[in-house]
Amino acid sequence: MTKDRDQGTGVGDQEEQMKQMLREALPPLGADAEPDHDLWPAMLHRMDEESARGASSIPWFDWALAGGLVAFAMIAPRTIPVILYYL
Amino acid sequence: MAGILVPTLVLPLLLIAFIVLRLIMQVSFPIERGLVFPMALVPGLWGLWSMLWQWSRERTHLPLGFHGALLPLLMVPTGAFIAVLGGVLTLGATSVTWFNAVTLPYALIALFLAAGMTAYYLAWKYIVGFVNRLLGIA
Repeated sequence: MTKDRDQGTGVGDQEEQMKQMLREALPPLGADAEPDHDLWPAMLHRMDEESARGASSIPWFDWALAGGLVAFAMIAPRTIPVILYYL
Repeated sequence: MAGILVPTLVLPLLLIAFIVLRLIMQVSFPIERGLVFPMALVPGLWGLWSMLWQWSRERTHLPLGFHGALLPLLMVPTGAFIAVLGGVLTLGATSVTWFNAVTLPYALIALFLAAGMTAYYLAWKYIVGFVNRLLGIA
């Protein structure tokens, strides 16, 4: 009984020691754990800016490459699983 | 994060394809053996390749699309090697066979590689580049 209690205490000590080591290893978050303002509106603004560039900014060469890729997939549709394997 | 976005978006499609083919259509071929590469290694490789671009771009001045287009040169042999080990790819005398269904003559592998490099060029230039700009890291 005493032995069991001692073993239990030992495990408890180890847990405490482990917690202490984890606290020491991880840097404290401090008071600035959260950003001081909402970042999502700025992200939406950037997304709008990117969307405004539109398809007209894509060079003809890239359109041709995309068209060639679609044509390749249509000519050889059995290769689509192999392409997916690499994505 | 920008680097791993595309393969992460493809993962649900792969899972859907796996469920449809294996569980619904009862395809006998063990497709799951082929899932190790796209699900475990491809996202990591994309992330590492993106980090490599961030690290090297000031010296190489290589556009992101061209950098991404080089990745299949590394991934095609790596993926093929893992696929052979998993029994997904069979090497024949004149052709390779994927998933016991897609036979690709050796002569067409260069064309397939070109298609892969094109797909990667576009994905890296427009999707990874978009996310990089969005995150303010490019």
